[in-house]
Amino acid sequence: MVETFNNLLLGFSVALQPSILVYAFVGCLIGTLVGMMPGLGPLAGISLLLPATFGLNPIIAIVLLAGVYYGAMYGGSTTSILLSIPGEAASVMTCVDGYAMTQNGRAGPALAIAAIGSFVAGTLGVIGLMLLAPTLAEFALRFGPPEYTALLLMGLFILAYMSGGSMLKTLAMAAFGLMLGMIGIDVMSGYTRFSFGVVELGDGVGIVPVAVGLFGVSEILLAAGGTVAPRVQQPKLRDLVPSREEFRLSAGPIARGSLLGFLIGIIPGSAHIISSFVSYGIERRLSRHPERFGQGAIEGVAGPESANNAAATGAFVPMLALGIPTSPVTAVMIAAIMVHGVLPGPMLIQQQPELFWGFVASMYVGNVVLLILNLPMVGLFVNLLRIPYGYLYPCILCFCILGTYSVSNSLVDVWILLAMGGIGYVLRKFRYDLAPVALGLVLAPMIELSLRQSLAMSAGDYGIFLQRPIATTMLALGVVLLLLALKPLVFRGKDWRETVGLEKQG
Amino acid sequence: MTESNETPRQGARGLLRSDQFSGLMLLALALYVGWQNRVYPVGTLSEPGPGYLPLLLAIFLGAMGLLIALWGARSVPLATIKWTETTRAVVILVACGAATLALERIGYRLTVIALLVFVLGVLERKRPLPVALVALGFSFASYYIVGDLLRVPLPRSPWGF
Repeated sequence: MVETFNNLLLGFSVALQPSILVYAFVGCLIGTLVGMMPGLGPLAGISLLLPATFGLNPIIAIVLLAGVYYGAMYGGSTTSILLSIPGEAASVMTCVDGYAMTQNGRAGPALAIAAIGSFVAGTLGVIGLMLLAPTLAEFALRFGPPEYTALLLMGLFILAYMSGGSMLKTLAMAAFGLMLGMIGIDVMSGYTRFSFGVVELGDGVGIVPVAVGLFGVSEILLAAGGTVAPRVQQPKLRDLVPSREEFRLSAGPIARGSLLGFLIGIIPGSAHIISSFVSYGIERRLSRHPERFGQGAIEGVAGPESANNAAATGAFVPMLALGIPTSPVTAVMIAAIMVHGVLPGPMLIQQQPELFWGFVASMYVGNVVLLILNLPMVGLFVNLLRIPYGYLYPCILCFCILGTYSVSNSLVDVWILLAMGGIGYVLRKFRYDLAPVALGLVLAPMIELSLRQSLAMSAGDYGIFLQRPIATTMLALGVVLLLLALKPLVFRGKDWRETVGLEKQG
Repeated sequence: MTESNETPRQGARGLLRSDQFSGLMLLALALYVGWQNRVYPVGTLSEPGPGYLPLLLAIFLGAMGLLIALWGARSVPLATIKWTETTRAVVILVACGAATLALERIGYRLTVIALLVFVLGVLERKRPLPVALVALGFSFASYYIVGDLLRVPLPRSPWGF
């Protein structure tokens, strides 16, 4: 505990440097604006800023991008509450009761509780990250290729179990993403696979064009028809204070949402989206008056908003401790810090403590910045929503092209972006979840390499996965979850997703 | 999941369902990948080659596609999926494709101006003055921020700007 405290002091000595404070502030500000704009979620925002971080030092780069990430989580709630437009997918559940509160004249308290809940959840999430990541990293030092193979496969099975909507579709999308990850040079044999004569594809398909195409461009293509500027309420600072009763009702959902969100954030998938759905379902179930949900229940804002912010922090645990992304956002962030020669994983905390602890401390700072930024300035931010979408989306589209091109100055990346935009558009029409595609793409080289290394270690004996306790346990857990996910499909039973409203994600 | 008034069983007769269609498309993709994969050595179970995992994935994707199609009788009929914005979406994608072709030929600023003038002026039918202001403003401001301040190299036109 004393060691953790000393490390945290080291972190604050890094995070409170003026240059890092400025970048944390800029990241939070950009993130809030990005989160408010439909079509530009945290992923697109981070991807677009990625090339700009190449010239920065790794601590500043990760602080800036993390600021964008949790800033977008905050920003998404504002449009949900005021306009019933989720700036990003995790805010969908906030629309239900948040917008109902706005219609009842209680927009201010809804915004305040969303901000306070996000602050509490973000702070508790950072404490969890601080305590869990070093322990997990120490444990992961025992991992060899078989353990990594088992861990990655378990992650995919958990993804299938936790996904909103059809498990078959999730697995199909994960397989599609893994296939995309097969494009390029096979590191063990030197073969160039599926490049169709395009030299640039020898390096494989990058996460940025795929992620921005699937999530950013497809959203624009779906929404391009709607061009009418919505009427926006501008709550004043004095309207923001919630009543004592609203504080009392929100305390439990914020605490539960924080814990739940953090735990869901650690496991793979669209954690911040899933956690907000699950939190809403739980709050509705626990409420003595569930009929209030949908009519402006403040618990329906406090729970999901806390959960999605805690999940955003939880996602950093496997990223920093194991070097494994559990979401497209963390995948892009891993790419961002690898550019600087920093390899996330078990050795990161030991070899670069100032980076890890500086990042942790900057998240405390970022949460405070966001609270200060969001509550008093909400009236200013909502002016952005007055820009007609007909003017906004062409600019967002140009940002997508600009951001993708500038990652490696490659036109092939822009073609991939456009192709993924079209594919994402069609897949969303058919109600497929797109997050597994991005995750599969990132995990594919890791799975292939660790599987083949494992087999090389055992002279081709698959029994190696059953001879090593950690690998066996992880595989068994993954298989059990897969079977549980298959159960409602085979026996036509009620799926757990339906009980928490997850199937509505489509 | 069904959006129409008819019951799933009634609707299943003679109507292709959305999941049946998408499942079959995934199956077709899997078959194509399997076919393309034939040129890479698959190796053996104990010593996998470069074609091993792609083949496994193609089989898995094909199986998932088939299962989605088989379980797809309860999904919405394919004909009920609305494609009202598709024409606009295709035009936007084609315009972006043209911009991609032009990007390294005429430079970032001219390309962005042309793309914004087309989308705002032709597609969205906005008035000429705001279109010109947004196109010029966005093009030059984004170049200044990304290209000059953040020092990200962006393509210039043959005329030097």
